[in-house]
Formats: sequence, C-alpha cells, structure tokens
Amino acid sequence: MNWSMISEILISAVRMATPLLFVALAELFSERAGLVNIGLDGLMSFGALVGFLVCYWTGNPFLGVLCGALGGVLVNMIYAFCTVTLGAQQIVYGMAINIFAPALASFIYRVVFGVSSTLAQATLMKTVAIPVLKDIPFIGKLLFDQTPMVYGVYLLVIVTAIYFNRTKSGLNYKAVGEYPKAAETMGINVVLHKYIACMICGFLAGMGGAYLTTCYVNTYSDGIVAGRGFIALAAVIFGRWSSSGVLIACLLFGFFDALQLRLQVGTDLIPYQLFQMIPYVMTLVALTIFGSRISGPKSNGKPYFREER
Amino acid sequence: MKHVFAKKALALLLVLCLAFGVLTACGAKEEETATAEKTYKIAMICDSSISDGGWGAACYNGMIGAAEVLGWETAYTDSIDQSAYADTMISYCDLGYDMIFAPGNQYSDAVVQVAADYPDVAFAVLNGSTDLPTDNIMSMLPNADQIGSIAGIIAGLMSESNVIGFIGGMELDTTKSKLAHFESAAQVINPDITAVSAYAGSFSDTAKGMELAASMINEGADVFFGDASAVDSGARQAIDQANGDTVTIIDIGQPSDLLGQNPCVACSVVTDNAGMLQICLEACEAGTFGNEVVYGSLENGCVYLGSFNDDLIDADTQAMIVEYVQQLQDGTFGN
Repeated sequence: MNWSMISEILISAVRMATPLLFVALAELFSERAGLVNIGLDGLMSFGALVGFLVCYWTGNPFLGVLCGALGGVLVNMIYAFCTVTLGAQQIVYGMAINIFAPALASFIYRVVFGVSSTLAQATLMKTVAIPVLKDIPFIGKLLFDQTPMVYGVYLLVIVTAIYFNRTKSGLNYKAVGEYPKAAETMGINVVLHKYIACMICGFLAGMGGAYLTTCYVNTYSDGIVAGRGFIALAAVIFGRWSSSGVLIACLLFGFFDALQLRLQVGTDLIPYQLFQMIPYVMTLVALTIFGSRISGPKSNGKPYFREER
Repeated sequence: MKHVFAKKALALLLVLCLAFGVLTACGAKEEETATAEKTYKIAMICDSSISDGGWGAACYNGMIGAAEVLGWETAYTDSIDQSAYADTMISYCDLGYDMIFAPGNQYSDAVVQVAADYPDVAFAVLNGSTDLPTDNIMSMLPNADQIGSIAGIIAGLMSESNVIGFIGGMELDTTKSKLAHFESAAQVINPDITAVSAYAGSFSDTAKGMELAASMINEGADVFFGDASAVDSGARQAIDQANGDTVTIIDIGQPSDLLGQNPCVACSVVTDNAGMLQICLEACEAGTFGNEVVYGSLENGCVYLGSFNDDLIDADTQAMIVEYVQQLQDGTFGN
C-alpha cells in the first residue's frame, strides 16, 4: 500500500460518492418536509436516460444534466400529487415510482435505439481543473481536478447546511417536516412547501442519475443505477438528516466501495464476495455506533390533512 | 327469497356461458392446427438488456438469426430479476411457445423447475452444464476453455507489461474456466505473465467496470478480457480514457465481434450462438429434442477468432495468433 495507491483509492471514492451525494441531498430535502421518498432509484434511472439521450443528441453534457434533472421533477410530480394532495401512503408510491420509472426509461431507450449490438456512446463532461490549486500535491488532483458537477454538489452541501440552520425560510421548511399543524397556524403554506420539496427532490435525484451517464460512463444500460438510490436513502439516516452528516456518509460509502474494488484486484486467495460486503458491513457498523439518539423529522412519512383535527 | 333465486339463476347462466366459450375455443384450436401448417414459436428471457451491446445483444441476435433461417416466431423478456425467471418462463409456456431460450448458466435452476411442469415445451440453456439435459432440456455449451485460451493467446503475444486483466460479472463456472484458461494460455506463450482479476458482482453496473479497469491499469495491466456484459463496456471506456490518443492498453471483446466499438478493441473471441441454437430448433421440429448437449467449439465453427484491428496488431503477430489458435484446435497447443 503506497501513496499512489491511496491517492487512487481516494480519487475513486470521490467519483463514486458524487452520484450518491446528489441523491442523498434530494432525499434530505424531501424528508425535511416530511416526505419519505424511496423512489430515488426510479428517479435516478429516468434522469440517467433523459440525461444520456439529450447528451447523445446535442453533444452537450450540461444540457443533458439539466434535462435529466427536469425529467426527475416530472416523474416525482406523480409521487407529489398522490402523497401530498391525495394523502396516500408514501412508501407505496415511492415503490411504485421504483417500478414505473426504470421500466419507462428502458422502454424509451428501446424505442430510440432499437435492438442492436452496437453500443450508443455519448460525450462525457470534461473535467475543469482549478489553476494553482490543482498543483497541490496529493489533494490537488483529488479536490481541484473534477467536473463542474462535483464542485457543484459540494457547494450544494454547504448551501444546504446554511439554508436549514441559518435562514428563516430554512427553519420554516424544517417546521413543515416537524409539526405541519403548528407550521400552518404560523402562516406557512404546508402543501406548497411539500410540493417544492418534491420538485427539489426530483431535480437533484434526476441530476444524480444524469451524472452517471454524462460525467461517469458514456453509455446507458438498464440497471445502471444499481441500487444507488437505496444507498442514498441509508446515507440520509446515517447522516442524521443533516447535510454534513450526509456528506460524510456518502464519502464513507464511496471510500469503502472503492477500497473493496481495489482489494479484489491482485488478491485471489480471499473470496471476492467478502470484499463486496465491506461497504454494507461498514454502513451497518456505523449505524450501530452512532445509534439513533437524534431521530428524523417528527412527522416524517405521515400524510398531512389540513382539515383534520 | 325471490331475489336470491334470481341471483343463483344468473350465476348458473354465467357458468354455462363460460363453459360453452371454453369448449368452443378448444374446438376451434384443434381445427386450426389440423388445417394450417404449424408456426413454431421461441421466447427468450434475459436478466440483462438485449440492447446492452454485449452478451444480451449477442444472444438475442443469435436467436433472431436461427429463427429467421427456420421461420420461427420470436419473443423476449429482458432485464428481469432472478425472482422472475420462473414466472416469466411459465407465462411463455402458457402462451403456447414451443421453446424457451435461456441464455446463461444462472437460469438453470429455474429451467429445471419449469421444465418438469411443462413436458411438452422445449428448453434450450446456453452455457448449461453437461448434466442439465432431460427429455425436454438441451444445453448449449460454447467451449469456455477454448474461449479463455484464445483470449490468453492474444494477451500472451500482446502484453508488454506482463500483467493482464480479467473482469468477471459473477463467479459462474464458465466465467471461472475462461479466467483460468486466459491466464494459463498466456503463460504458455510468456511464462512471466501474471493475471489480475476481479468480479463486479453485477452484469449491469457499468461504473463498477470502469473503476475495476482503472485499478487494474494502475497495477500495470495492458491487455484486458472480460465476461460481464455492460460492465465490460465500462471497462473499455476506462481503457480508452487511460489511453488518450495513442492506444497502448488493449481489450479483447466477446461474445460477438466488437471491432470498432471502442478504439481499444484489438480483437474478439466470437461465439456463434445462432449456429448452436439452430441445432436445437431443428431437433425440436424433428421431434428429437432433449437429452443432449450441443457443443460450440473451434472444431465445429461455433467459436472462432474475430477480426483483427490492424492498427494495434501487426501482421506477424496476427499470423502467430492464427497459428496458435490452429494448434489449440488440433489439441497440440502447449505441448
């Protein structure tokens, strides 16, 4: 284990953590408004497809990411209408999104490209190195030689932290997830906040999906999301519903995933399944150690009926 | 009381209608088969996508190819989870399909289960084991040892760093033997070669393929071979990125001829699924289906060396590869 290997693992960890971080922040915004959305995997799949298609047709990854994000919003509006307006079970509709959206994505891909053994490949977003800073040994390449999306998501972590803890609007937003009735009596429009939360959630989750196909790999295939939505869901709980916690959770998971892939290469004595367990085992261990001293938003997962007593 | 009677009468009427309908439907079907010539139907199930540009696509095209020759109708269901293998096959059996094509070892258990309940439906399993066939199951077994060896021969002649990389999807028997022969064949040609290998644990997580290939490149690997569908596409992308403008790290494609898909593809090891499947279809038409393993190998032309990338492999090396592959076919390779 030498320096170049450690730096390689860390760079790989950042790469693998970025899509998780987008989606975990999406879930954070949703749950802070009292909406548990387990449909992240579905939103990501749809975002990944839309992002890929737009990028493939226009050759512009930025437009791809934007359209992927809007695609996520569109799909999440189904969830928003059913859970907020109709007051339906959030878990059930989240699951419905998980079944519906990937199937829709796969259908559209099939319609566009048909069945051929030639692989459609799109352009990838270029990395933008920050001058001077990128030359710092070790951390230079790690932190300052990434795609604009990576810088954006870390900026978003900071903005989210400030918004939720330092602004009046952020506190209002959190009140909706804690005690919507009290919030309503204080003049906060609960239903509007919940819809906005769903838009932000769809936007960021779609963006996380589009990141996979415009910044990470240059192809789309069914199952490309590979359960990342559920990992992000765990990251929000692990991160105690705070953006800094979510950041740490995603980086940890990315790190252990990168580590397990690296350990597999060049070791053939130990069964590879043992390495593949590492990220999941570490998540379990971390959850056990940190316990659940601080629980999430109080009215998380409960439908809100304005007229109900 | 009168009301109840009316309800019962209505129910009875409905039952009669239904029974009549079923009986006439049966009659109609028998008539149809007696007059018109039977059109055979084959359905394929697949856990990856048939447009994945790799394994799924090659198998689907194999089915289409074989079905076209013999005039069969085709259908498919792809991207299904393990939990849905059996249910999907049962649906096709109930729809009256004559053959189910399961393109992989991972479907074996589900096939055995369903085949026992539908003795009149034929099941063809690609990469099925030799003890799998029964009265209505046939295995198609491309020679994984030869596939691995061919890739190993290319790697042995092409590697300059003496490190070669292999990425598997899941630890299937066929994948394990491809890896073992990939390494051993390369070592026959160049004893200093070592192989690094890893499994993605998935056939669809393209990003994992990228990360694995990047790690292996860091270990010095300069020739790659894989057995993991869409994960392989990710690996090829990582190789292309590491190469930049000049190709120094190469990839060997399979199971179809992938030349031209990525700049790093130097050659492919091609499996002719259509050829093997056609043997199964013919057996089904002739009524001799079952209890048989159809082997695909260099000898019967179902496994062969794909086209060379002339920019990456020079003519002398190409000739040597062809020579070694001929030795492999003759059974004299490595003696």
